[in-house]
Amino acid sequence: MTRRTIRVGVTGLARAGKTAFLTSVAANLLALGAGRPVLPALARRVEGRGLQVSIAPAGAAGLPRFDHAAHLAALTADPPAWPARTSSASLLALDLVLDRQRLGISLPPARIRLELLDYPGEWLLDLPLVRTSYADWSAAVLRRLEGHPMAQEFLAYATALPAGAPADEALAATGHRLYRAMLARMRDEAGLSLLQPGRFLMPAPGPEPAWMAFFPMRGPKGGNSGLHALLALRYAAYVRAVQEDLAEPMFGNLDRIVVLVDLLSALSAGEAAFADASGALAAAAGALRWRRSLLDTALALGRLQRPPRTVSRVAYAATKADHVADRQRGNLSALLRALASPESAGPDVRTAHMPIAAVRCTEDFVWTLDGRPVSAVRGRRIGDERLLRSYPGEVPDRPPDAAFWAHPFLQLPVFEPRRPPDAGRGGVPELGLDALLLFLLEGIL
Amino acid sequence: MTVPPRPRIEVEDAPATPIPASPAANPAPLRPRIELEDTRAERLHAEPPPEVLTDPAPSRRAPLVLAGAVTLALGVGGLSLANFVIDQFTRAAWLGWTTLGVATAGVALLGAGVLRDVRAVLALRHVDGLRADLASTEPRRIMSAALDWAASVPGGPALLPALRAVNDPDAALALLRSGPGQALRGEADRMGRTAALQMVAGIAAMPSPSLDVLLVAWRGVRLVRQVAQLYGVRPGTLGTFALLRRTIGAATTVGALEFAGNAAAHAVLSNPLLAHLAGEVAGAGVAARRMVVLARAAAAACDPLEPPVRR
Repeated sequence: MTRRTIRVGVTGLARAGKTAFLTSVAANLLALGAGRPVLPALARRVEGRGLQVSIAPAGAAGLPRFDHAAHLAALTADPPAWPARTSSASLLALDLVLDRQRLGISLPPARIRLELLDYPGEWLLDLPLVRTSYADWSAAVLRRLEGHPMAQEFLAYATALPAGAPADEALAATGHRLYRAMLARMRDEAGLSLLQPGRFLMPAPGPEPAWMAFFPMRGPKGGNSGLHALLALRYAAYVRAVQEDLAEPMFGNLDRIVVLVDLLSALSAGEAAFADASGALAAAAGALRWRRSLLDTALALGRLQRPPRTVSRVAYAATKADHVADRQRGNLSALLRALASPESAGPDVRTAHMPIAAVRCTEDFVWTLDGRPVSAVRGRRIGDERLLRSYPGEVPDRPPDAAFWAHPFLQLPVFEPRRPPDAGRGGVPELGLDALLLFLLEGIL
Repeated sequence: MTVPPRPRIEVEDAPATPIPASPAANPAPLRPRIELEDTRAERLHAEPPPEVLTDPAPSRRAPLVLAGAVTLALGVGGLSLANFVIDQFTRAAWLGWTTLGVATAGVALLGAGVLRDVRAVLALRHVDGLRADLASTEPRRIMSAALDWAASVPGGPALLPALRAVNDPDAALALLRSGPGQALRGEADRMGRTAALQMVAGIAAMPSPSLDVLLVAWRGVRLVRQVAQLYGVRPGTLGTFALLRRTIGAATTVGALEFAGNAAAHAVLSNPLLAHLAGEVAGAGVAARRMVVLARAAAAACDPLEPPVRR
């Protein structure tokens, strides 16, 4: 019996909510298969046809299995906990079996394997490196760092290095240490996202290879020798590892893509962080394979293989949408549409923009502020038994201008997830996930 | 008759003060804020699922006409029998006692048959209940049903300690599927293949094509009953009807297995003699293949590990 495999690439920068998204997708689809009243739009789509959903056996795959049960247990526990930063890639595979009927005749059921990938969000920004040389990357990074207060120490070291510096390990190690510390500060203190290479912030498991010790450096004129040549060699090895471990096995054969964007956190982090996050998103989206190139097709046919798959649907999702009231979610969707235009996708790729909360935490309510009723949300914070009311500000419906930044958007509280029914076996409370899955699986179910 | 005033626009002579902007039309922007409530609150729950309005289920009660006919048949039959026994007593005491003995034995046998049928129907209902329990999302319900079913099928009791040891419903179901579930399916397949062989031989030996239908029907019903007995369901007459109904429902879910049935039938017919016989007799191959599929459908109808049967 043939089984159709649909690969969904779940992309998103660090802390965009990829792990929570996958946990919720798995829990809700499993609950739907068990006949629980979840995902109403999807349930209507498969109404009258038996749907069975199960976690696919891992087989002998090299990629670790997504630990759905552990993540779900953490969300349902008392007190609940959000998934920690993802430190390695894993695969969530779900087997869907759907009864089929044509003209009243029962046909063999449709068997679909839905594969979704979890990986550290920091690694997503390694994809653009595959098409960038060390010299170009160094120039772009150093240009971006100029004038940034957190980069002063590293820039002082990098500019002090003579162009013809020898390939000394101590020089390379010091520059790498300073650059890496700067990246960590920029992520943790300034909330920046466009930080490369991703493995400097979230290394792959296991001992660190020697080629990791590089940093951006301006090259000597008229040649490539000494320290610069050593760093370029290490960069090339890093890019090769990205190509072999991430780009080809994980992003090379995608049918559909979900781009998770935490716009609300970017708005609350300030103007610079918002612009940085937009740039990071554009860089990552530009590195994905949207269309099949003639060269790829020719190479595959030459090897007597099928040409690589191309993306047919892209769903842009603004995550944590339950942190603002229902009235503002339309603006969130419009803002996402204005920021994430798939210019490289082409006309044959269908796109959708929607606000979602893969794991819902809050409830809407009307808050009277300064004598005026305002739509707001409330929920319990992690570790606090009292409800927290939140009106973080107005979400703009277009890229924010100077007037918006004059009235800052408040930092989003970390709410605890709503209690999933039956310890998660009855699904996970969500917002908008139903519509997103319906869009992704249209034409399959 | 009054003349209506003409519309006009005029400039006033006196200078006017500017009209103040309405505060309601352009209110000051609200300051974002986050505040903690004073009282403690329960953790927020999932919203209740939307109420699903469904048509009322059709009544499963027997029509009044049928109930009346059965009452009449049983009542009149019983009364006639009683009158007959009394009548016999008036003729001779020994004749009365003998008639009473015969009547009692007959009624008892009838009652035993009915009881057996009722038990068979209840056993099928029990399979439905187990299936619902095993497909539920409540761990305790699943574990209880798993233990219950394992205790009642061949090879299941040996698994009971292992089932009690694992505290995971998914692992328990996997154990049942790979253990007794697979063994029972294998045995049902073997029964199907045996019936297929008999079908080929029987149809080849049948003198008249019209008798083929009877042979296929008889062997099919017997096969379904055999498979049901394998799963611990012993159907009587009524139970057989209920079982056949379920088997037809299950056949739609195992429609995909037709391919497997084809393969099995081809394997059976790979014997040169049987292939020759099957070639001689039109429809023997089809009948043989259907026996294999029928065995699988009957197994699906009686196996609580299978998904719910559509009826």
